[in-house]
Amino acid sequence: MSVRFEELHVGDELPILARMVTRGDVSAYADAGGDHNPLHQDDDVARMVGFPGIIAHGMFTMGHLGACVSTWAGDPANVVRLSAQFRAPVFMGEEIVAGGRVRSLDAETRTATAELWVTVEREGTTEFAIRKGEAEVRFPDRRP
Amino acid sequence: MRHVNRAAEGKTYEPVPFAVDDGRLRAFHDLFGGPPGVPPTLLTAAEFAVFPHVIGDPELALNFRKVVHGSQEYEFHRPLRLGETLMAEARIASIRQKGGNGFLVIETRMTDGTGETVAVARATMIERAPSA
Repeated sequence: MSVRFEELHVGDELPILARMVTRGDVSAYADAGGDHNPLHQDDDVARMVGFPGIIAHGMFTMGHLGACVSTWAGDPANVVRLSAQFRAPVFMGEEIVAGGRVRSLDAETRTATAELWVTVEREGTTEFAIRKGEAEVRFPDRRP
Repeated sequence: MRHVNRAAEGKTYEPVPFAVDDGRLRAFHDLFGGPPGVPPTLLTAAEFAVFPHVIGDPELALNFRKVVHGSQEYEFHRPLRLGETLMAEARIASIRQKGGNGFLVIETRMTDGTGETVAVARATMIERAPSA
């Protein structure tokens, strides 16, 4: 579902990408990303700092956002910048939804800048696990 | 009450090698999906190979239990190549106090065998103010 630069308009939304967050995935992420902070593995440690249980790594949520942006970009190599602000914790069994919107287009460099977010529905309100994220995607010129 | 030590601003840490290897790539793809290629957040593994030295640096005097990951940025000068080994060097880019919280920006620069910068990662760690 990648797009061509010529088809883009300011205000276009990136296709949303949703997933469930499970204990198994977060544990696998700790190994893959090398972040073994017990806050993400040990419920007792998480409770000591006031959470009901372990929370996902911020980088787990950003990894999901990266997949959303890379899918839209067609190739992760087209993503030249990616940033995120971690604003709310994500608990096990929750669904995270990554999305974004094109903010500006530069025809000369074929670069699109998009603002990004990841949301969680919790007790009837939308929480932003990530907000004020931003990506810069440079689309290759594939015209003959 | 402890505060991060601003004198550590600009300090660099011993570079560590980071291999863009198939196993790591597969682990990220299995977890997050997305098109083939090196996922942009794979570099987090390079950062977390260096962070323990930074977080544990007695000169910084960080209170680890009060530290949360505030924000993250990746900037690519060229795409990462499967099979290459990069050197990851961390530097304390800035230390600020705001509203009782300490903001620590750790910049990790990835260079290839020719010494060219391939990517720069910026992690902002927040040391929350001690609760009253």
